[in-house]
Amino acid sequence: MRRGVLAVVALTLPLIAAAQIQLGGVDRPTEAKKQHVELLTDSLQLTANKPQDVELRFRVQPGFHINSHKPKDELLVPTELRLNAGALRIANQQYPPGSHFRLPVGDGEDLDVYQGEFRVALRVEAPKGDSVLSGSLRYQACDNAACYPARILPVTVAVTAK
Amino acid sequence: MPRGRNIRSQRKLEAAQHERNESVGRRLAVLAFMIALVGVLFWAGVHNLRYRRALSEANHVKLIPASPAADDSAAPDIEGSNLRGKNAPAFTLTDVTGNKVSLADFKGHPVVVNFWATWCGPCKLEMPWFQEFSAKYKEQGLEVLGLSQDDGASRQDVADAAKKIGVTYPILMPDEAVAKKYGGVDYLPETFYVDRAGKIVEVTAGAPSKEQMEALIQKTIAAGGA
Repeated sequence: MRRGVLAVVALTLPLIAAAQIQLGGVDRPTEAKKQHVELLTDSLQLTANKPQDVELRFRVQPGFHINSHKPKDELLVPTELRLNAGALRIANQQYPPGSHFRLPVGDGEDLDVYQGEFRVALRVEAPKGDSVLSGSLRYQACDNAACYPARILPVTVAVTAK
Repeated sequence: MPRGRNIRSQRKLEAAQHERNESVGRRLAVLAFMIALVGVLFWAGVHNLRYRRALSEANHVKLIPASPAADDSAAPDIEGSNLRGKNAPAFTLTDVTGNKVSLADFKGHPVVVNFWATWCGPCKLEMPWFQEFSAKYKEQGLEVLGLSQDDGASRQDVADAAKKIGVTYPILMPDEAVAKKYGGVDYLPETFYVDRAGKIVEVTAGAPSKEQMEALIQKTIAAGGA
């Protein structure tokens, strides 16, 4: 008898799970605030108490572009990295130049954008030990036909200084 | 054969028969349970399929592909598309000069409700077409309303941007509650084509071609009676 019950339970659980996926999946809300940029740098290895040039690498999702730090139109939202220094010393933040992109709508519009991977350069001085470089990247993404409102990408990078 | 031995043998046979009966009963119960489960799964699958078909028909939204190379998964899920065929949500907003403008003011007119923002390049490229078509289809009563989504921008900033773009139709200041009524509008431009009867005929997310836009306007003018 016990074996029979166990067999029923073992067979039933995956079936119930499948039924829940079938029924629950249709009403699952879509992700409302999907990011279009990701941070590729997750850690930095530095020499303690010595200013060093580092780069934070970001990647824009394929099919999208974001405005560069200096877009051509003042109404456009520039990409901006804001960092909380904490125990670190951060200086000389430098953005890469954007690339030319012509918006393929009607007569088109010339834009200065980041596409694919881009890197923001920094000069960082860290005390000996582990610390965290944190902050956020504000950007506004568009594809060829439409735009999303500006979004904030959290930036967290582990820093180890020896 | 001794009588006692016969009785024991008889009892053994009865016990074995009873056990067999019980075992058959258990198997039948398990079988019935499995059939019921398969039935539930089948019903769930049919329900899911019907729901998705209905959703697909209801969401007759014109999504403009990001680019031929763009990943399909990047296409946004436009909640506003669920409003197609329904009455356009009512709203009253202030324009860039501070006057109140209601959708109800345009009852009996085909109306284009266009959500846009000053930071949205495709919006700025399609808006002159709305301006052109509002003049071209003026006799048919076409009205265009531009609903700015520039949270935090001043009236003057929005008015200056509209002037720079070259549009003279009413430009209305943002109200999150109105955007929410239209499905959140998290993707710009988003345009709702409303017929004379106040029903949403079409929804577009992203800038269409000029020809597509004009076709949608003609469809909106033709819908909802003369």
